Amino acid sequence: MKIKIKAFANVKEAFGFDEKDLTVSDGITVREVIEQFKTICEPLNEFNGSLLYAVNEAYCPESTVLMDEDTLAIFPPVSGG
Amino acid sequence: MVKTALQQDRIDIAGIMANIGGSSDGAVVSFIGRARDNSGDRQVLHLEYEAYGEMARKQLQAIADDAAARWSLSSCTVVHRYGRVEIGEASIIIAASSPHRKEAFRAVEYIIDTIKERVPIWKKEFFSDGSVWVNGHT
Repeated sequence: MKIKIKAFANVKEAFGFDEKDLTVSDGITVREVIEQFKTICEPLNEFNGSLLYAVNEAYCPESTVLMDEDTLAIFPPVSGG
Repeated sequence: MVKTALQQDRIDIAGIMANIGGSSDGAVVSFIGRARDNSGDRQVLHLEYEAYGEMARKQLQAIADDAAARWSLSSCTVVHRYGRVEIGEASIIIAASSPHRKEAFRAVEYIIDTIKERVPIWKKEFFSDGSVWVNGHT
């Protein structure tokens, strides 16, 4: 199935992209996607559990199972205001 | 009436304040967040805000709606900027009106605290020799 990844702020800089389409296996979780990225993107390991996730613009836990056409956003703690 | 916006343009503070609330409101409370010229002992030249636009707009509206319901506000306006913000400019305004002051004060504090916790917007400080992302709330 296909999903879209979006990255923001210093996570975007670590990834080197702000948006990417990925083909992943059915039933994959957010955690599994992140683990795969960590193997190819060393700087991502520095975020140590502080990363936040949103699927289709709603916050979600790492255990969330992704569906076809989902958009997974990955970002650091927010600092607006 | 609850109005929220995420915009690149400068915030029209006078226009917002002139239009908030009505004749049955005894209180208007506002918070304006401005770009500060320092961070610790470093001089900041300007700020840049990055936003996850679609999600940030939904969150701003949800937080303002929630506050308006909880404190029975008669009106509430929240505007947050993205992109480059110069020193001294407002990056955010929150304005709330209610018949009595207590509700408006509490609502505005709740809204800014919750925005800083939840709305996907990130601040970058620019110095003469580089820039850093501001560490967010964890």
